[in-house]
Amino acid sequence: MKHVLRRGGFFLLTLWAALTLNFFIPRFMPGDPVNALRDRTRGKVSEATLQQMLSSFGFKPNQNLGAQYLDYLGNMLSGHWGLSIGQALGEPVTTIIGQALPWTLGLVGITTVLAFALGTLIGIVAGWKRGGRLDAILPPLFVVTSALPYFWVALLLILMFSVWTNGLLPSDFNYDTSLVPGFSPGFIGSVLQHAVLPAATLLITSIGGWILTMRNNMITTLAEDYVRMGRAKGLPTRKVMYGYAARNAFLPNLSGFAMSLGFVISGAILIEYVFNYPGLGYLLYSAVQNVDYPLMQTLFMLFTVAVLVAVLICDLATAWLDPRVRAKE
Amino acid sequence: MTVLQGTAAAAPRPRRSGGGFWRALRGNRKAMAGSVILLVFVVISAFPGLFTSVHDPNALQFPPRLGPSTGHLLGTTGLGQDIYTQLIYGTRQSLIIAVVAGFFATVLSVLIGVSAAYLGGVMDDLLSMVTNVALVIPAFPLIVILAKYAGHGSLTVLLVVLVVTGWAYGANQMRAQALSLRNRDFLESARVRGERRSYIIVFEVLPTMTSLIVANFLGAALYSVLSAAGLQFLGLGDPNSSSWGTMLYWAQNQQALQTGAPLWSIAPGLCVALLGVAFALMNYAFDELSNPALRPVKAKERKVRAAVAAKASAAAGAEAGASPSPVGTETSPAPDPADAESPADPDAPLLQVRGLTVEYATARGASVAVAKVDLDVRRGEFLGVVGESGCGKSTLLFAIARLLSAPASTTGGSVTFKGRNLVAMTEKQLNVLRWRDYSVVMQSAMNALNPVRTIGAQFKDAIEAHADYSSEQIKQRSVEVLELVGIDPVHLKSYPHQLSGGMRQRAMIAMALLFTPDLVIMDEPTSALDVVAQRSLMVQIKELQQLLGFAVIFVTHDMSLVSRFSDRLVVMYAGQVVESGPTRTVFDTPAHPYSKGLLDAFPSIHGERVELKGIPGSPPDLGNPPAGCRFHPRCPVVQERCRSQEPDLYQIGEAGEVKARCLLLTSDDEPQASRSLEVNS
Repeated sequence: MKHVLRRGGFFLLTLWAALTLNFFIPRFMPGDPVNALRDRTRGKVSEATLQQMLSSFGFKPNQNLGAQYLDYLGNMLSGHWGLSIGQALGEPVTTIIGQALPWTLGLVGITTVLAFALGTLIGIVAGWKRGGRLDAILPPLFVVTSALPYFWVALLLILMFSVWTNGLLPSDFNYDTSLVPGFSPGFIGSVLQHAVLPAATLLITSIGGWILTMRNNMITTLAEDYVRMGRAKGLPTRKVMYGYAARNAFLPNLSGFAMSLGFVISGAILIEYVFNYPGLGYLLYSAVQNVDYPLMQTLFMLFTVAVLVAVLICDLATAWLDPRVRAKE
Repeated sequence: MTVLQGTAAAAPRPRRSGGGFWRALRGNRKAMAGSVILLVFVVISAFPGLFTSVHDPNALQFPPRLGPSTGHLLGTTGLGQDIYTQLIYGTRQSLIIAVVAGFFATVLSVLIGVSAAYLGGVMDDLLSMVTNVALVIPAFPLIVILAKYAGHGSLTVLLVVLVVTGWAYGANQMRAQALSLRNRDFLESARVRGERRSYIIVFEVLPTMTSLIVANFLGAALYSVLSAAGLQFLGLGDPNSSSWGTMLYWAQNQQALQTGAPLWSIAPGLCVALLGVAFALMNYAFDELSNPALRPVKAKERKVRAAVAAKASAAAGAEAGASPSPVGTETSPAPDPADAESPADPDAPLLQVRGLTVEYATARGASVAVAKVDLDVRRGEFLGVVGESGCGKSTLLFAIARLLSAPASTTGGSVTFKGRNLVAMTEKQLNVLRWRDYSVVMQSAMNALNPVRTIGAQFKDAIEAHADYSSEQIKQRSVEVLELVGIDPVHLKSYPHQLSGGMRQRAMIAMALLFTPDLVIMDEPTSALDVVAQRSLMVQIKELQQLLGFAVIFVTHDMSLVSRFSDRLVVMYAGQVVESGPTRTVFDTPAHPYSKGLLDAFPSIHGERVELKGIPGSPPDLGNPPAGCRFHPRCPVVQERCRSQEPDLYQIGEAGEVKARCLLLTSDDEPQASRSLEVNS
């Protein structure tokens, strides 16, 4: 119970820190957001609408900073995220995010989980078969792939599978815009086709890290007495490999997974930008380009929440899988 | 270092970053590859003018989108600049970003991490909390936003942003290592000397953390290179600066890929990748050096391994009979050892080990850890195997149980258990015998029990592997064995960490008795316990043995521990049996100088008070054992011939029950009848 409270406290604290950063950065950084906004909206919006937008952004220059801050916190937490002042002028931020969210969840979410699962599995086998010829080649290879810049891998893939092959695979947007969105086979096929290259980019750049950490954990665990004990008991090899070795070697990877989500998000921004994929990452890029503060703030909060939720889930999973952690609670 | 001299309390500081470390680093191919790449970039960034004849990388002075040619090695950009020249001039900024941001992020990590560990208390809580919060807040979106607000980022803004977002991961690691160092002897001794805390941290703690600090710098540099390039690629850097990221931005902006100038974006991307890979390779090399197990097996060592493995399969084949095919291939049936199930001689020992040899494959060659060991265990017998750490006694046990794993393997001899040679059996055949006919109890139950499964689940695993019991039967048998060792059956639902040390050890013994095997192999099962618990466990093992009639091989370094419980003793030194015989006889009249030395090293509880003496020196390197008698460098009664002549195991005593490997028992070359041996001490 104490553990749960502590984790909950950590969740709130981090969320608060992220929101506070969000609030103070525009106010203390050089460059006045109000003028930027006025410039952007000159001629398009009446002064009254501008005022309304400014207040929706939480920026009321006449109010004292403390009151602004409290208002802002309340609005962010209660889902009053205001109106966009970027390209989709005046559109509620919730609507814009609602349209982009499924694409990022589908592309980045599924690929990340896939990379984690696949990498872990390959790492288990690589660690188990340590010392073989393959084991001399694989680790350096994956050290290299995990250090490659996301956007460069994306550009290479586009060059190879799209430019040089006369558009074998699409490299732009999330589906063929000539199709009508719906649950038709053509549309779903198009969506999948458009996801191949961005997903491959994310997979190539992130799987190496999982393979290496899992392999290394496995090797450390294989030296443990309980693995030898599993063999001594005459258990089937699979049981020793998965139930005794991998089961224990996997535990440290879980917390690593949550922490790595920050990197996945940076990958999502760059990859979605390269592929013009209309997900949350692309949205953040365009929000930044268009000085769309309400959208930017909300996205940053959502990214933080996503990492925090992942941390919590991994915490729960660790407690579920490791009785020693449960004992500390 | 003068401060340390003359202080009695000076304890040696662990040398993690000594000369050997750097030498090892030079021998690491990944580290070398990384350093070479980095060096090339450093030279280029220092003297860009040497590498290109074009002076202004950004001037729009050539026709756009030229292909590669001798004049333009990589062609020109869509704006009319020479791509190769831009790459050369862009190197400097990327390197500066990597080194400067990496350096300051590392400094911040060390400051915060080490302070948290050494200040402790509320400060530690506070700093750790800040670190964790910083770790969770997604850095890249923050960088993107920061870079935008700060205007089109100057280099300084970029560096500050990278440092602010890049320190947290390192700080956590620094704190963990500093905490683990806190109570080490060399720091304790510095504190006793009255050194100031700041002095201790700077001169004692930080040097031992060097390799972690360097690894952290490399990680932070990698992070900075990739993040900065990503940021510039998105157009959030200074669009007029000379850098790879800026090139990438313009290339993307002008659709380089789609307009036939792919090198414009691929080449600078490759440079970013190369620089990143250089840091990543060096970082990984550091990981490998601090944990040698992770290193790939070197080609040389693999050759030795292959040679040892070949010997091993030859040994298995030879012992299995005249079968020419190597044992272990399922298709060509070697003579089934199961055929010999009922031995012709009912008086034959339960376990008969003959000429058992174990070799370790190392990069320096094969090292013989167990050399031609013979031993017998009769039904219901308690055999003690004693020797110092590193004498090969545990290796011997695992060889008998066929539990060796690479780089160790059995390269000769036989282990005949109930008439079947275990050395010739495949893993599958062994699995039939394991636990049903012989079981193993290991040194520390804390490590030998799977920490994430309950005691009951681990019992169940063992039972299910060998018998077709219903879950009711499994439960019943598990309860039975736990009660046998005096543990409340409710603990079937307990995890190992929930039991005390003594209980865990009992639970492991209970597990070993699930099928009431004929032989239980025990590897120092009491060494993790205190003296009182040790004794009660020994008594219990002996009682169980008398009750159930299984035989025991019991390995220990403590001769007095086995004296009261074992029927016979085997004394091992440097991989060889140096003496064997009935416990009482060996105890009262040790025939080998080493046995006598071992006995003198432990106090007798009941005997008269005698001065305790250890054996000076330490066991030899098994890769290169001394010539002649292996014990001669440490032997108090060494003679000239001991240095060159290798002793056999001589039979001594009237009944011939005692055997000892000592030339002093022979007159010149004939075994002597007398078993008396004067050891002058």
